[in-house]
Amino acid sequence: MKKKDIIAKILFVITLLAIWEFVSKNHLLGPRSELIFPSLEKIMQAFVSNFTKGYAGISLWTYVINSLKLLLKGLVIGILGAFILSGLATLSHTLASIFNLLISVFDLLPGVALLPVIIIVLGVNSDVIVFLVIHSVLWPMSRSILDGFMAVPKIYVEAGNNIGLKNLSLILGVYFPASISYLLSGLKVGWARAWRGLISAEMIFGIASCPGIGLYINQMRTNMNNAEMYATLIVIIIIGVIVQYGVLAPIEKNTVKKWGMSS
Amino acid sequence: MSEYSLRIESLSKAYFNDTESSIILKNINLSVRKNEFLCILGPSGCGKTTLLRCIAGFEEHTGQIYVNDSLCTVPGMDRIMVFQDFNQLFPWKTVLQNILFPLKRKGINSTAERKEIAREALSKVKLSDYESYYPHQLSGGMKQRVAIAKALALKPDIILMDEPFAALDAMTRRELQNEMLTISQEESSTIIFVTHNIQEALILGTRNIVLQKGGEIILDEENSLTKPVTPNSEGYGAAWQRLRDAIYLSC
Repeated sequence: MKKKDIIAKILFVITLLAIWEFVSKNHLLGPRSELIFPSLEKIMQAFVSNFTKGYAGISLWTYVINSLKLLLKGLVIGILGAFILSGLATLSHTLASIFNLLISVFDLLPGVALLPVIIIVLGVNSDVIVFLVIHSVLWPMSRSILDGFMAVPKIYVEAGNNIGLKNLSLILGVYFPASISYLLSGLKVGWARAWRGLISAEMIFGIASCPGIGLYINQMRTNMNNAEMYATLIVIIIIGVIVQYGVLAPIEKNTVKKWGMSS
Repeated sequence: MSEYSLRIESLSKAYFNDTESSIILKNINLSVRKNEFLCILGPSGCGKTTLLRCIAGFEEHTGQIYVNDSLCTVPGMDRIMVFQDFNQLFPWKTVLQNILFPLKRKGINSTAERKEIAREALSKVKLSDYESYYPHQLSGGMKQRVAIAKALALKPDIILMDEPFAALDAMTRRELQNEMLTISQEESSTIIFVTHNIQEALILGTRNIVLQKGGEIILDEENSLTKPVTPNSEGYGAAWQRLRDAIYLSC
């Protein structure tokens, strides 16, 4: 990143924070100012107390870990499932068209809309959340994989055939690496959808055995602890940024960028 | 073992669509001796690339293709193709890995042995210093060199080359033709080389054939010019004229 860009970004953030603080300190929104724009100082204090005191005697840290555990479980199952199903779809035309239909139908269904059905089937427990995460990642990821497979240049496939690759060895040796940029964009979309789906589900119903970050936000809202609520949103953003720059960006750098495959 | 690397018997190929079919290759019979450097010439659209792709096993066809007397129906490592497209190397593998991977597929299990073979092949195409480069860091000519090195390393019965130098600039093309000539004289591979460039065929080939539109062989002759061939070589003009006339006959 260019130095100029970094400075511009920092200035932009500082300006936003300054406006926030100005509105908050001068009660520009009347009596509700405190609720809508708690002062930055309060939010920072809440950020710390979220972790030290937490809610119901449990630190926010525990909620975050619970959420991440469910998320990771769902992501792994969803991504593996997408790979297996897309791999199978390359084997036959009929399978591929059925799978495409499934993707078109289920990708449009918001996970939260399925909640009532899932709760009836699975009961109120953490499996429901895992199911939602799988649902949010499986379809976009599958679509990216299938699109990626279709876009693999014929010459790589033929070069692969020429050295004896077919079926599974062709999928692993040519199709996957050749469609890596599609896989990564699928991963980005899938991860973001899963993270949002998880928090929405947790806000709708909390699971006592496995309370997560969405439940925490909702409790803060019902108790009018708005500074704590904002502080929790910051935690969500921080986790998102860590995943983007700590996980996805390095993968991108070591694959597509290194191989000159980014368009 | 027969003296032929390749025998093609009554090979035909047609493309079909809803209403009509077009015949690309019609009843081709062709035998290629071991170590022969066969150049296939012909006007654009005459089916020379299709013929090469049939031999490689990429196309459905009628008729039989035998490599060293065994019938070939699918692609295999006994026939390695060098495409015209520069982007035939796997971009996710380095130059060296692009050669090591097929060697592993071929069943050479010792890493040291694979590396030795790959490095030897790279030195033949003068790319020893580039083994850790990724294909996107190479020029078009270098990529073609790697593709040739890959083919050499695998020691196939036949190397199939589909206008590998056609998209290169004149200077690089000349350079690669010279290297190809040296390589073909040192190696014991049969080479089938598709080109539309008469001079290239005369410089490289030991035998030239011309395909007519519709895919019939209308000229088949030994290239008896003494290597290295230049436009001043004895008999060059006459040979050039014969090939040219055959190519333009069908236009």
